[in-house]
Amino acid sequence: MEAILRILRRFVATTILVSIGVLIFNFVLLGVLVFKEINQAPSPEGVVKKVAQGLGKRDGGYRLDERAAELLTQHRAWAMLLGEEGKVEWDYQLPSDVPRSYNLIEVSQFSRYYLMEYPVYIWKHGDGLVVVGYPKKSHWKYQLDFLPEWVRSLPLRLLTLLLLNVALALLVSVLIGTRLIRRIRPLVEGVLRLPREETVELDSKGIFGDLARSINSVSDMLQKKTASLKARDEARSNWIAGISHDIRTPLSMILGYASEMEDSPDLPQEQRHQAGIIRRQGERLRSLVSDLNLVSMLEYEMQPLHMKPVRLAVLARQVVADLLNNGLDERYDIELQLADEAVQINGDEKLLLRAIENLVQNSVRHNPQGCRIVIRSSLSEDRSRYRLIVTDDGKGIPQEQLAEITELPYSSKRKRPVQQGHGLGVPMVARIVQAHRGELTLESGGERSGLQAVMEFPSLL
Amino acid sequence: MRDKKILIVDDEPEIRMMIERFLRKEGFFRIYSAADCASGLSVCRANKPDIAILDIMLPDGDGFSLLSSIRQFSSMPVLFLSARGEDEDRLLGLGLGADDYLVKPFLPRELVLRLMAILKRVYSPAREESLPVFRLGGLTVDLEGAVILGGSTDMPLTAKEHGILVKLYENRDRIVTNDALCQAVWGDDSYGYENTLMVHIRRIREKIEPDPSSPIYLLTVRGLGYKLLVKEKH
Repeated sequence: MEAILRILRRFVATTILVSIGVLIFNFVLLGVLVFKEINQAPSPEGVVKKVAQGLGKRDGGYRLDERAAELLTQHRAWAMLLGEEGKVEWDYQLPSDVPRSYNLIEVSQFSRYYLMEYPVYIWKHGDGLVVVGYPKKSHWKYQLDFLPEWVRSLPLRLLTLLLLNVALALLVSVLIGTRLIRRIRPLVEGVLRLPREETVELDSKGIFGDLARSINSVSDMLQKKTASLKARDEARSNWIAGISHDIRTPLSMILGYASEMEDSPDLPQEQRHQAGIIRRQGERLRSLVSDLNLVSMLEYEMQPLHMKPVRLAVLARQVVADLLNNGLDERYDIELQLADEAVQINGDEKLLLRAIENLVQNSVRHNPQGCRIVIRSSLSEDRSRYRLIVTDDGKGIPQEQLAEITELPYSSKRKRPVQQGHGLGVPMVARIVQAHRGELTLESGGERSGLQAVMEFPSLL
Repeated sequence: MRDKKILIVDDEPEIRMMIERFLRKEGFFRIYSAADCASGLSVCRANKPDIAILDIMLPDGDGFSLLSSIRQFSSMPVLFLSARGEDEDRLLGLGLGADDYLVKPFLPRELVLRLMAILKRVYSPAREESLPVFRLGGLTVDLEGAVILGGSTDMPLTAKEHGILVKLYENRDRIVTNDALCQAVWGDDSYGYENTLMVHIRRIREKIEPDPSSPIYLLTVRGLGYKLLVKEKH
């Protein structure tokens, strides 16, 4: 919506600028083109003045000097001098249809308009009135007269006119602009919906039809791509689920017979011991298969989540109690520092338990020489996030490996091979945290300064 | 107990053989097996087994629908044994009225134990499920009677003390978290009862410990919970 308003604002501003430009342009044109040939030089008034000046008395008669005569010839004009009595005292190329004598009324008439359709101009002369006539229809004569009031208010009127013009231009531009915007708006909305991967179905009629069609086809393409990606993810996840299913049946038999042999009193001690190894390795394979399945379901967002309000402190205690109950080696020292225990987050209890367990197990596995593990929990300053932090003072992880241990083993993003365990532990934590819209941060001060894993979840408050 | 008739339905002949072998070793001898839903159902009608172990993925249908068909004429106990370990399947199976759900691969010992537990629960004489009686030093804790015997006088247990002791005894020699104890006694929404729990623990200690201020049976695991040490004599 803001984008549309911006477009409209620019459009109106441009229109106003263009109008002002056109106005200035018009004034220039008015001067250059329109008023340029209003009269040829010299003007009839100039000619008649020259004639009056050039007409001298000589030898009882009148005589026109050369230059004035030439001017008259050039304009194909005639001239005459009316005496005080109204008689033509002198003439120059006077047409025959022009009377030779005039009374007062006739003089005052033609001095304003035409004489026998000849446009005439007059000038005072010592002996009377010089009249110069131009050919018929060669000039238009008009009389101008204005009220002084009108002349005084002329600038104000012109200003009003200008303002009205500006207002009109503005109105027209806003009207056209909004019409345009009304057509553009669905397009803009469509484009804005594209990144949200919503289906866009625009009306492809009207002047922006091509644009609408191409937006529609982009949306269509995106939808198809998303669908095919989803189908591929589903296929991969199903493939892994299928494989883990198929591994379980033969593994049942390996585990079954191995544990039978382990318990069999008829077998020698050594073979029972070996059967025990087979059984334990079978159990490792079992947990690997189910971890693989869980990680793949989480990766492709196919793991059903059983969300409910959970207190992380309870889960942390549970993990530690289980660890101690299963005989944690003396080399490891584990401590709980839980704060804001009452705070709940929305989560899947089993998965969160698994995440904490994996982090603690990770510390145990990577520090066979023993280490001190601390589990802390706290609420963020603004009470919107709840953190669970697992730290150890073991050998830590080199900085350059930190970024990739949350990636799946053997994936293109993980360049170094997994060193201990099956390498699914931390990637699983990362995916569980992600499924809870949380954040996992791993920090290590480098060699021998331990590892800190921070899980942060939106709190329920 | 060992004369109960057991039906195994699994499409893998080797799994059927293995389970049968383990059951025979445990002393069961009336064992029937079937490879698909149809034959499983006909065995059910003809031989009326006392318990069935069902696979879920079968060549002519799934174990869930087989259970539904069986339920139309029999209410015998059923244990699912499946390679499908997803929570959804587990909940569906138990929701349909199965008595247990075991995921492959399994340890034979676990299968036998679970099977026995179901049989005991379903077919044992109508005796109420009795709570254990155990010894702590010179005293006898009778959870069934909710009383501690062997002292100068018999000391009855309050309901809360009884609940706490039952939970601790179920997990004897293991740490039980405060949260688990509170939940066992006060139910799901039990946050904030930790201090009350401490009070009850102190009262229990007064009844069972020779010296309540330095306990030797009911130990505190700081920051986590409690642990009941039981040295069984028999």
